Amino acid sequence: MDERYVGGLWCHQVLEHLDTYVEGELSPALLAAVQDHVAECDACARFGAAYASLVAELSSQRAPDLRSDQLERLQHRLDLDT
Amino acid sequence: MTPLPPEDRLLRLAAAGDRQAFDAFVAAMAPAVWRVLCRLTASESVAEDAMQETFLGAWRAAPTWRGEASARSWLFGLARRQAARTWRRRVGEPQTHDTLGELALAAGWGTDPETLAARSQDRAKLLVAVATLSDRDREVIVRCDLEGVAPVELAAELDIDPGTVRVRRHRARLKLLGALRAEVCDG
Repeated sequence: MDERYVGGLWCHQVLEHLDTYVEGELSPALLAAVQDHVAECDACARFGAAYASLVAELSSQRAPDLRSDQLERLQHRLDLDT
Repeated sequence: MTPLPPEDRLLRLAAAGDRQAFDAFVAAMAPAVWRVLCRLTASESVAEDAMQETFLGAWRAAPTWRGEASARSWLFGLARRQAARTWRRRVGEPQTHDTLGELALAAGWGTDPETLAARSQDRAKLLVAVATLSDRDREVIVRCDLEGVAPVELAAELDIDPGTVRVRRHRARLKLLGALRAEVCDG
């Protein structure tokens, strides 16, 4: 990875703040610096997009609901073993 | 004084041997425990076994619950430990990387992250990749990213600093990208 210094930040500093950047939790000053960096640094922009895509996909996943037969088997097991 | 949540009242009664109260506790908590276990174990059949063991353990351990943690946190702790036991039987602990930079390089930082973005949009592959993470990494991804629990809430459950949860989440996400990339590289 060829580190670049853009917008007052090195690539590794952008990486360090990527989590809070994607979560929208950066301070205004740091947010502006990261945005300036990403606007000029293709590597960070692409990696940030992949990271954000992962976070979005994770949040869109949903576990299956518990079915009534699974709950019945649980209650049966508890009746047997307690 | 804040009234106790219903599940705390039920667990307190169960701790005194009230089986009906425990059944009500099970009915109230099973759907949430199920969702967490499905994600922690990445398998419905394993999750069902783990759920049964979790509630059996909860009945036996209820008298030891002192109410320092909420009934919900206490039960999720049992579920997490049960999932970890199940998991350790299936795979060893995956290798770890040390620095954020190393994690990011393994995740495709500076190379070709577009393929990763596409791969993370494949639900099955994404869940398989989650399943390869260590207990600690999987826990933070499951609770924060899949369940939508705020870092501050998970920090309270685990009795650690919210900043620590955020750092763990960031590292775990990078490891997850790394696991997806490994799959890309493996074809």
